Amino acid sequence: MITQKFVVEDRVAKIALVFSYVLLLLGGLFGFLQVLSRAPGIPRLEDTNTYYMGLTLHGVALAVLWTAFFIVALAVFVITRELKVNMNGPLLLGGSVLAIVGSLMGAVAILSGQASVLYTFYPPLQATPLFFIGLAVIIIGTWLISAAIIEAIVRWRRLNPGKEIPLATYGVFATIAIWLMATPPVAFAVIAYSVPMSLASAPVDVLAWRLWFWFFGHPLVYFWLVPAVTVWYTILPRVLGTEVFSKTMAKVAFFLYIVASVPVGLHHQFVDPGVHPVYKYLHTVLTYLVAVPSFITAFNVIATLEKAGRMRGGKGLFGWITALPWGKDPVFTGITFAIILFGIAGFSGVVNASFNVNYLVHNTLWIVGHFHLTVGGGVTLTFIATSFLLVPLLFGRDYVGKKLLIAVPTLWFVGQLIFGVAYHTAGLLGAPRRTDIAASQLWQYPDLVQSLQLVAQWVPWLQLGAVGGIIFAIGGALFLLLTFATIFAGPRVQLSGGELKISPEPEKPTFFDKIGIVALIAIILIVISYSLPTIEIYSRGLSPAPPYWPTGARG
Amino acid sequence: MTVHTSEKVWVGFVAAIVVIFLAALAYAAWVVGLQVPGGDVQLVDPQKALQELKPGVREVAPGKYEVTIVARMWQWFPNNITLVNPQEVKFRFTSMDVIHGFEVVGTNVNVMVFPGYVAEITWRVPPNAKGKYLIVCNEYCGFGHQDMYAVLNIVRS
Repeated sequence: MITQKFVVEDRVAKIALVFSYVLLLLGGLFGFLQVLSRAPGIPRLEDTNTYYMGLTLHGVALAVLWTAFFIVALAVFVITRELKVNMNGPLLLGGSVLAIVGSLMGAVAILSGQASVLYTFYPPLQATPLFFIGLAVIIIGTWLISAAIIEAIVRWRRLNPGKEIPLATYGVFATIAIWLMATPPVAFAVIAYSVPMSLASAPVDVLAWRLWFWFFGHPLVYFWLVPAVTVWYTILPRVLGTEVFSKTMAKVAFFLYIVASVPVGLHHQFVDPGVHPVYKYLHTVLTYLVAVPSFITAFNVIATLEKAGRMRGGKGLFGWITALPWGKDPVFTGITFAIILFGIAGFSGVVNASFNVNYLVHNTLWIVGHFHLTVGGGVTLTFIATSFLLVPLLFGRDYVGKKLLIAVPTLWFVGQLIFGVAYHTAGLLGAPRRTDIAASQLWQYPDLVQSLQLVAQWVPWLQLGAVGGIIFAIGGALFLLLTFATIFAGPRVQLSGGELKISPEPEKPTFFDKIGIVALIAIILIVISYSLPTIEIYSRGLSPAPPYWPTGARG
Repeated sequence: MTVHTSEKVWVGFVAAIVVIFLAALAYAAWVVGLQVPGGDVQLVDPQKALQELKPGVREVAPGKYEVTIVARMWQWFPNNITLVNPQEVKFRFTSMDVIHGFEVVGTNVNVMVFPGYVAEITWRVPPNAKGKYLIVCNEYCGFGHQDMYAVLNIVRS
């Protein structure tokens, strides 16, 4: 797959991929420290201020950057190999440079201890201007990359009017469409509110700011998820020597992700004052709508696995399950484990979306359990398994320690499962998220702790969470070790085998190929769901609050 | 563009679940009365929150309480709340500095506390609620966040 045709594209994909692994290492390291710190009775390796600094880095590096850079590499690879078109080099390179420079600015700001505001950076918590300007630079960089991707897809369509957009490319389109719809409001919040706050101590209205942040914050999770789903629909069946069970329903799922993943942000603000319950309920309805493509995907993926299992001679109601290459093929094993983790998180996600039921779990460790199983389980494990294919294809080097590869998804899956169960349970018992729990002065009063409802019961679950965290940290460390060794010192291979096939053979264009109309439907839904709370908040008059540093000092 | 019959059945099943769940949530909110904080809010200058809101516990009728709480890094005012035979508690909150989160562990009381806004919720106290409950801040509010807690004591006689 070494080809002279895509020199610039491959260079960008390689840089993005390596940078994503560096971020996974950095973010993962702090996550490992935190899971220990949080559990009373387990030795901690950091103080409280480092905990919150590291929590900021963990969130920014993993929830936003690791995923985004991996997605850039995957998207560029899919577009070039599947559509066989060159991309706009200056846009792609310029965007990548900006995104990397912005990320480094953010990392320096956080590591200097001047931006311990967590990855949500809710005002009026103050941070250094370097942090906010870095974020703005990242967003602008991603817009340039997105423009290069969309331009390549549009150009391919003009050259191939009689063909539908191939499935994997459609997944890339859905991903980028969601990103482009979701990011302008957060760019506005950063540039219009957070930067003036950090430069001139300008007060900020927290409710309006949160509206714009969560306009972006929830679609962000679909921005990660849709590429993972794309892998489930295309690479998973390829690995098993078959095609997806239903290409039509796969496209229906992508369509629903595009139209329904943005107008749902208020489900992060159910317990915020100042927004009418009917508007919050409207976002509940739309969040339920965006659960539908995930249900469709679950059916489609399981049906695909059944097809592959029966091809391998699996008989009866469950015989197809045991006929699959469990524990043999690390790519297959990693992706299916990722799907199982995501499935569990899907159920807890429905709880989060459920309006008044959300009272029980809002800002508790239940939420942490939920999104670690989505982004850490479903998405990251999918990306890890995809790396087993992508790294050799891009770098022309074979994986070192091939026999060890199967241990990576296994450790990751077992660790995530334990961590997920423990944190969901601790959350149901009321343990708060984003809190250095074990460092609290509360534990110096054991009589008080014993007299309180539920609190003493947190401890064993937090400790179990630490056990899970340690297990998947080992899996992650093994993955990064093998991957870096492969990139820099793996045996060189000439991967022949002719054409690389990703998607099922494209047929005639359908409704889903009218991407302008699809985007228009999405924008109409956004306008309906966001105009009402926006008018409500701004017509009431804003109530800006002056900034404070995390130390408690006036900003 | 082929859709298998099994997929149509599945989508119908999913649609039915969605409709039933959404109806249950709406019923709980607008009929049973488990409502989320609303749009009718008072605005307040964060610096004048203490004077304007006068934090404290008031029993306005037998079993009916009004509890006004002001948050700041990293304390709740008041930080020790005792309620005797409470049936209904109207909570009002605001913050003097950054965002906080008011959660009474083991109950449905869980609200964001903003500077600039007064949040209001009404808690119908379950008849079996009794004893000491931990109040935590569940939104990150700076380096002392983990020490921002208080106690709610429900006394039954």
